[in-house]
Amino acid sequence: MTTTATTTAIAARGADRAPVVSFRGVGKSYGAVRAVADLDLELYPGETVALLGPNGAGKSSTLDLLLGLRSPDSGSLSLFGTTPQRAIEQGRVGAMLQSGGLMEGVKVKELVGLARDLHPRAYPLDRIMATAGITDIADRMVDKLSGGQEQRVRFALATAGANDLIVLDEPTTGMDVSARQTFWGAMRQQAEQGRTVLFATHYLEEADEIADRVIVLHRGRVLADGTAAEIKARAGARRVSFDLEGPIDRDALHGLPFLTALEISGGGRGDGSRHTVRIQSQDADATVHALYGLGAYPHHLEVSGLGLEQAFIALTTASDVTPATAEEAAR
Amino acid sequence: MTTLIKLEIVRALRNKKFMFFSVIYPPVLYLIIAGGADSRPIPGMKLDMGLYYMVSMAAFGAMTAVLLGNSERIAKEREKGWVRQLRLTALPGRGYVAAKMGAAATVSLPSILLVMIVAAAVKGVRLEAWQWVTIAATTWLGSFVFAALGVAIGYMATGDAVRPIAMLFYFGLAFLGGLWMPLTILPEWVQNVAEWFPTHAYAALGTAVEAGGAPHLKDMAILAGYLLVFASGAAWLYRKDTRKT
Repeated sequence: MTTTATTTAIAARGADRAPVVSFRGVGKSYGAVRAVADLDLELYPGETVALLGPNGAGKSSTLDLLLGLRSPDSGSLSLFGTTPQRAIEQGRVGAMLQSGGLMEGVKVKELVGLARDLHPRAYPLDRIMATAGITDIADRMVDKLSGGQEQRVRFALATAGANDLIVLDEPTTGMDVSARQTFWGAMRQQAEQGRTVLFATHYLEEADEIADRVIVLHRGRVLADGTAAEIKARAGARRVSFDLEGPIDRDALHGLPFLTALEISGGGRGDGSRHTVRIQSQDADATVHALYGLGAYPHHLEVSGLGLEQAFIALTTASDVTPATAEEAAR
Repeated sequence: MTTLIKLEIVRALRNKKFMFFSVIYPPVLYLIIAGGADSRPIPGMKLDMGLYYMVSMAAFGAMTAVLLGNSERIAKEREKGWVRQLRLTALPGRGYVAAKMGAAATVSLPSILLVMIVAAAVKGVRLEAWQWVTIAATTWLGSFVFAALGVAIGYMATGDAVRPIAMLFYFGLAFLGGLWMPLTILPEWVQNVAEWFPTHAYAALGTAVEAGGAPHLKDMAILAGYLLVFASGAAWLYRKDTRKT
């Protein structure tokens, strides 16, 4: 049901405009490994989209396909209604790759100058340097940069001109907290100017805070697609935890309504009659109500929202246990 | 695109170690090989050892700098991901190849000139002014062919395979092109085959001028053909490089 809501929301968002990015049944394998399986995906102008997924979920492969660095085995994809190569030649796409190296033996400002020269709609050098926060290292040799500085230079290369789509693969890896904040500040500016931003990340809080749409990839498929709030709701919205004294009826607990996960710990030892129960529920009110209905007296009852991280883990592990459900969820 | 060519040249000049050895190696090799030779003409040729090796060592030295230097550096850049980053720009394949060839030619020019200076100063080679200029120019321009081959090899091979493959081309071409020893001492069938090698045509440009004539049209045509094949092959490989390295 959430899927339907999500789809409607996205359709509404993009109804008036043509998609920036469109994947239709795209598949890509490396030998026996299916990196991307039958992927359907559309991004619309002005969206800030986070691509989430555990390692090996197909994030980097998806971005490589999108940027034309690899060709799909099956299906088709387009950027701005044309091929990735053409879109890049037109200067509509800027990208910052995890695996993107830098030219060595040149100064930072020389490298950014090169990016400007190669961009059909380049910004002034000073502005690019200032936006990326690398004005102070302009004369430094590229080979002598720290990891965080390198990332900022990559960012400068990705934003050297007026791109309509910015693609970032794990952009803040190696940055400290303040650099990360500066980075996302700059990224927000880009988004406010109407650019579409797509980023893959490991940091779920980044997806939660910055993205207005989150796509969860798992085993090369879209497992969930919606706002961070919708994703959390999908995974079982609330977490309920409490302690129980005395013997417990496990079957009755498992039978509680709207349950998506149940974990019982403690018990068995000296004061052995106390158990801690942790529940994830899609309707915490109903679950707690039913709990009292069982005649139980829960101590230290806490009901809290689920972080995106827990939602993410819940989603991906659930699909690992029952692949069939994941297939359904993906639809 | 011009910025990339400029940057590649600046970068080559900044790499002092590579520059030094690339420039020093050919004249030293020239002195070792031709240093003790007398001034009698080589059997079957009008030229003596000093003259013959001046051209072949200048050619060999230029080839060392551009073929080995280019292929290894490009393979390394692909591994580090710089080429992936570059492919996300509007740079056309020919721009990349042109930049790499420009950088290689920057390194090869001084090594060519130095061989000629050493030949004149130490071995007492004397030529007309137009001959000096023409030999330097043809040897330099001819090195672009091998620079393009270097780019192509840098794209064909990855990682550890680059050096052996580049070496195979390098030694094979140098030997069969007669850069190490005059081909007149080899069986006739080898000479017939070697005539079509780019290295043979390359050295023949200079030796024709030394003998007092203009470079042969056939040799120029052979080199132009190889340049076209190598450069377009390199540009194609650059654009088609979808392997993760």
